[in-house]
Parts: sequence; C-alpha cells; structure tokens
Amino acid sequence: MGLDVAFFFRILIFPGFLFLFTFTLFCDWFERKIMARMQNRMGPSYTGPFGILQPLADYIKLLTKEDIIPHHARRFLFTLTPIVSFSLSMLSIFCFPLDGMNIFSNRGFEGDLLFVLALVTFAHFLLFLSGWSSSNPYGWIGAARIITQFVGYDIPLIISTLGPAYLAGSLSLAKISSSQTVPFALLTPWTFILFLISLQAELEEDPFDVPHAETEIVAGYGTEFAGRKLAFIRLSKDTQIIFGAALAATLFLGGPYGPVFFNPPNFWFIVYFALKVLFVIAVLEFVEAVCARLRIDHVIRGNWRVIVPASLISLILTVISSPYIRFLMEAQI
Amino acid sequence: MKAMTPEEEAANIVKGALGEYVLESKIPKPRRVYIHVKPEANKKAVSTLLQSFPCAIISTITGIDLGETIEINYHFWCGKAEVTIRTNVPKSKPKIETITDIIPGALLYEREVHDLLGVKFINHPNLARLLLPESWPENSYPLRKDWNPKHVGNLAYSLEKTITLGETRTEKNAGLLVNVIVGPQHPALHEPERFLFKLDGEIVVDVEPRLGYAHRGIEKGAERLMFFQDVHLIERVCGICNVAHTTCFCQAVETLGKIEVPPRAQYLRMIVHELNRIHSHLLLLGIVGLEIGFESLFQYLWRDREIVLDLTEKLTGNRVMAEYSTIGGVRRDLTPVLGDEIKRGLRKIKDRLSFYREIFQSDPTVELRTKGIGMLSEEKALKLCVVGPVARGSGVKSDVRKHDPYAAYEDAPFREVLYKDGDSWARLMVRLDEVGESIDIITWAVDNIPGGPFRTRVPRRMPKREALSRVEAPRGELIHFVRGNGTAYPERVKIRSPTLANIISFREMIRGCYVADIPAVLASLDPCFSCTDRMVFLDEKSGRKWVWTLNDLKARRRI
Repeated sequence: MGLDVAFFFRILIFPGFLFLFTFTLFCDWFERKIMARMQNRMGPSYTGPFGILQPLADYIKLLTKEDIIPHHARRFLFTLTPIVSFSLSMLSIFCFPLDGMNIFSNRGFEGDLLFVLALVTFAHFLLFLSGWSSSNPYGWIGAARIITQFVGYDIPLIISTLGPAYLAGSLSLAKISSSQTVPFALLTPWTFILFLISLQAELEEDPFDVPHAETEIVAGYGTEFAGRKLAFIRLSKDTQIIFGAALAATLFLGGPYGPVFFNPPNFWFIVYFALKVLFVIAVLEFVEAVCARLRIDHVIRGNWRVIVPASLISLILTVISSPYIRFLMEAQI
Repeated sequence: MKAMTPEEEAANIVKGALGEYVLESKIPKPRRVYIHVKPEANKKAVSTLLQSFPCAIISTITGIDLGETIEINYHFWCGKAEVTIRTNVPKSKPKIETITDIIPGALLYEREVHDLLGVKFINHPNLARLLLPESWPENSYPLRKDWNPKHVGNLAYSLEKTITLGETRTEKNAGLLVNVIVGPQHPALHEPERFLFKLDGEIVVDVEPRLGYAHRGIEKGAERLMFFQDVHLIERVCGICNVAHTTCFCQAVETLGKIEVPPRAQYLRMIVHELNRIHSHLLLLGIVGLEIGFESLFQYLWRDREIVLDLTEKLTGNRVMAEYSTIGGVRRDLTPVLGDEIKRGLRKIKDRLSFYREIFQSDPTVELRTKGIGMLSEEKALKLCVVGPVARGSGVKSDVRKHDPYAAYEDAPFREVLYKDGDSWARLMVRLDEVGESIDIITWAVDNIPGGPFRTRVPRRMPKREALSRVEAPRGELIHFVRGNGTAYPERVKIRSPTLANIISFREMIRGCYVADIPAVLASLDPCFSCTDRMVFLDEKSGRKWVWTLNDLKARRRI
C-alpha cells in the first residue's frame, strides 16, 4: 500500500495536479505581468505580493458567479466541454517528463509524443464544440474560425515536432529530452522558429488570436460562458499555454535537464523545467505584444502557402544535416 | 466694374436660372448666402447650384417651425461660400420634393427632418425613422413648437419590434446570408449603436446602421434655456470634441449679436481647439490599435495622450470637459509660464509622433489590416458629402480651417493634410499628420498671441436674426445654425455633427470586406454617436419602459 500512497501523492500533489494547477496560475500571472510591463502598464499588483494571487482571485470570483445556460444551447455539450477540455489539457501535461519521469512514475512509452499531440488536438476540438453548442452567432463564427485555424496549423506543428524526434531516434518524450546534450533549439534553430510560430497559432495568441477577437466577435466561442464554465474554459486555455510551452521545452530545450545539478536532483529537474517553460512563455508573449491581429484569410493563406512548405523544407534540412548535428552532439559528450 | 465675389456669383446663378421663383437673397456676412425660393422651385435651385459648383456638398437640412409654415433650409458648401436655399411649406400639408436623387448625401438629413418635424419628402427611397424609436406615435413631431411631451403618451417601447427591424427585408438568397447584429452593446463600439450586417460566410454583403440610441434632446432643450446657459448644454453634446461644439455655438451667437471677440480670445480658442484635436486624434489612433488587436500601440498612444490632457487641465481647469469658450471670449487667460509648459509638452509628443508614424507606415501587420481596406473613392466621397479626415483621406479638400477660416486660423501657418489613397490607412495617416500640424499651430499661437482682454461683456438678449457657424471639429466639419427671436432664448439651434455626415459612407466602405475588417473600418471613420444622436426629447419615464426589470430577467432565466 505504501507504493500507492507515493503514487497518489505524485498524481495529486507534487508534481501532479496541485503543483501544475499552482504553476498554471503562476504562469497566468507571469504572462499578464510581463505583457503589462511591455505595454507600459502596472499589471496585477494588489492581490498578494506583486499581485501574484490575482489569477487565483479571478478564478474564485468566477466560481461564485451565476452559471447561465442560454435557452437554445445544447445543454449536455455546453456543460461537458469546458470540463473535458480542461481535463484533457491537464492529462497531456501529465505525460511530460517533468522530473525525468512523467507523473505516472514511468518514462512513458514509445510514441507518447503522438499521444499528447492527439490529446491536445482533441482538447481544441472540444473548444470548437463549446462554441458550436452555445447557439450564439459570435460563438458559431468563433467556432468556425477555431476549427479552420487548428486544422491548418496542426500540420506544421506536427511536422516540426518530427525534427527532434528524428534526431533523437525516438517518439518518446522522455527519450527526446534526455538525448539533448545540446538543446535542439541551438542545433536546428530553423525548426524551432517554425515550431514557435505554429505554436503561437495553436494557442490563439496575437497575431493569430482571430477565434476570440474581442472587437469583432466579442469572445468568440466563449461568448455565452459564465461562472464556473467560464472558469474552466479559461483554465483550459491557460493549461494549453503551459502544454505548448512544455512541449517546446521538452522537444527543443532539453526538458528537465539543466547544466548544473544539486541534491535532490528531482527538485532541480522541476526547477529547470519550470524555468524553460517560463522562457518559452516570455518569447510567446513578446511576439504577442509587438503584433496586430491578422485576419482569418491572412492566417489560413499564410499557413498553406508559407508555414506548411517551410516546415516540410525544414524537416528535409534537418534530415540532411543530421550526421553533422549528431557529430556536434557527441562532441559535447 | 468690380469683380464678383463667390457669394454674389452663387446668388446670381440661382437668380438667373429661377427668375421670379426667387423671393429674396441676402449676403449677411462674407461666405454666407441665403436664397429664399418658392417650394416648387426648390429642386431646380439645388440642381442649378450643384451644376455650377461641381464640388458642392450638402452640409445639412434645417427645419424650423414658424407657426403657420415650416421653413426648410438646405445648407450647401460650394467650395468658397455656404449657400442656404430656403423654402417654406405649409404646416398643414408639409410636402416637398426630395433632392436625394441629385445628391445622395442628403439621405439622412431628409430622414431627420421627417422624423422630427414631419415634413414628407416625396420620392425619398426610405423615409424611415432615423432617431426616434419605431414605436414613437405618428403625428408627434418633437421639434414643432406646439409639441408637448404629453403627445407621446405612454410610449410602449416594444423590444420585439426593435429587434426584428431590418430582418424583415427578404432577399432571394436569404438562405445563404447570415444576419449578424453588432450593437447596441458590443466591445468594438464604445457608444450604443446598432448595425445589422448581412454576411456571406466571412464577407460583408450589406449593412444597415440604426442610429438614435443616445438621444438626449439637446436641440429641443436648447430652446428652453438662455443663450449663456446653452453654452454648457452644448458642451455636453460630445465628451471628446466639446471644445469644437462650444466654439462653434459661441461663434454663431456672436455673429447673431454682432459681438466683437477680442483677438486674444480668438488665439486662446484656437489653442484649446487644437489641444482638443490632438487628444481626439490620439484617442482614435489608439482605438484603432485596439480594434486591429494591437494592444501595445493602444497603451502607448493613450499614455502620450495624458500629456495633452494634463495641459488642457492646466489651461482650462478640466481634463476633458474644457468649459473654456463662452459667448464673447474665453473663461481663463494663458500665463507665459504655462505657455512655455505647453510648448515643452507638445515637443515631447512631436518626438513620439515620428515613432508612431514609423509604426503605421512600416509595421507589416498594421499594413495588412488597413491598406486597401474600406475604400472610398474621391467621387463617392463627394457624392456622399463626407467631411473631415474621411474626406481628406480620399483626397477631397474639406478643411474648414483653411477654406472658411474662423478664430485665428487665417493667420496661422499650417498645411491641409491630404491623402489620395482613400483606404483606412489613409484616413489614419491624415489624423497622424494633423496632430503634427496642430502642434505647430499651438506653438505658433503661443509665440504670437496678442495682448489685451480675453473676454467682453455681452447682452443676454439676441436680435431676431440667424447665423450659421462652421468649425473643423476633430471628426470633420461641424455646423451650428442658430436663430434668435429678440429674447434671451434661441428660437432654434440646429447642430450637424460630422459623424452624421460620415456614417452614410460606412455602407460604401464595408461592402465586400471581411467581418474582421468591420471594427477597423468603422474606427477609421471615428464615429461619435453621442454627437449624432442628440436631437430628440424623450420622456425618460415612459421611454424607459422597455428595460427589463431584474424580476423579468429572473422569470426568463432558464432554471
């Protein structure tokens, strides 16, 4: 039974649900704060030191609000989608090797990279369903935009994850991250940049935030959500950002492995992982701050004409230069 | 023989064409002509005028209740003079031929006169309500002198009727089109207004704007206050361009009473007017940043706008509602110390301006969202009679400060900013460049301001005359038409705000654009609906009936 206690501790407390939830809130605060500083604003500053508790306060406030379901909404889907979307995003983060192992105390299985990508695509599809089921014109347009955008950008995203997978010779997240003696971001920067662009589109951040462009379609797919459901939708979005940043950190920045280690190593694994995630988030936010929103047709055309061919070329480039890259990696060892 | 002035020329052309149909013509002041014609010759007078002045635009139509008759004034700007064609129709049978077929810009003005005074314009394509609610009773016209709020009775404002407005129009391909209602409450609109967009997928096929959600009845209210009290009411027509409104009204009343305004006051008015313009333009450019999803630009622009607001506060005592102009001058003087401070603050903005120009000219995302979007060609702009930066963005010369100078603009050195492109980008660049010009004007005015008093005493009673005043508000040409009746109360105050002239062009611009372009194109018009909807006196008590109470909402909630 002792084993079970440790197992549940890992899943529920550290580095499982509770830790990830706290980290999500922290990242939300971090995002808002750096965004605000880049825009000459204060950002959250009242709740807790430096306003660090503001996201928590927001969620608590949302949980206390009246929960409204519109008359014509598909009630079942409308209620279910926020929860399932959040759970799926959380589950996909569980599969990452947060401290060398994933949350389930093993090193994952061959192909869990594809598994998490499938999970997160499914989570996006649920966001589409949530907009579709809300029976609101803004929700419909937002849902249509979300599905158009994701169908397009999932392809370059998956193609660019194949680069690191090829170099590591594995489709396992743990193996890819442990094989990086030198981060792949330095060895194959072309793939990393393309990956970040498609990630930006996947996470609906500027300049790709068309599915919830406030000034055009109010809140897009989330227009009709209120109270607890809105809280879950927002949590799901925040978790997806962590997922995206964690994917970038695992595939391109060496996952939880850092240059120097102290005891206990498990703790430092987490620290390095968190720092890398925050770094990726900072990059994403910087791009968001300096860009205006594109139009949906720009987004789609840009995808099929530029990003998809470019990601294919970058994959070819990675394969061609792989002997050289492998040599560099071994030289490091 | 002395050469004819443009005013005389215009009067003679109309007289020559109409002969005995012209009852009277007068030129009370440079650049103002009034021609009184018989009602049956009205349309001919207008078409003669338009033929001889191809760049003429209609400024507005003013209706005045004279007791037995209703007087209709058509105000035209003919490039060098404001020509008013006046005609009287009997109040019992107020009917007149429409002029919208020769000048489409008159569409909304005729609807306004019909709405508020009950004049029927024969052959008008769509003489529907413009400002009053759909459930407003027939034969109740608020701007008639014998109107009384009781005439409205119990205004049962039916919500269903309002919502279905517009959708009843059936089209053959109605199945393929989606109707999306934007407003009255919508994040892209900062004031309540409703637009019904017909969408084919993401492409806008047509739009029907519905004005009138911010009625306050200022025109009617102005008749019940004395002139000096009206200044403060007029100030509240619009929060952003309040200086333009008060300056315009005060100028009209000063012309009415033949009051000489001291030169120092003219310069001070110009300084505050231009500060107001900078603040309004920076506000709009920031909003455009927000509409196209460029939040950082919005935050930066609004931070720099604070400098102007602080300077306005130091000069006038208020950050936004300046309460500065008054009949016979201004309310506060400028000290040399403050003059230096203004110059220093504006220099800072000028430095930042080059940075913003670089963003608008070279940022790829801004370019994608504004260049070639919302096109309005020069001919269309003339035909629809647009004004201000919208007209100048299409290459139409329309700066009142240049062509019909008031205050101290005759002496001030500045350039009329013109862009030929006619897209959203051009309209934004006009505003950006005008901020630079405004800074130059203020700096020059502070350096060259004459001494002397800044205010004169004026009588309360104004003679039985009329005056038309035009200023270049931040959004375009603003017109106040004031008529006195020998007492301290005005007989009629007519306000034509620039947005009413510009909103008609929105339909032209947005057709064929994407849904995502709607906010950006609308913002490039800089619409100000509180300016536009101010003509109706609405009985608050009964008008509020359509609002659902909390219990109503609870009853309708799905539990």
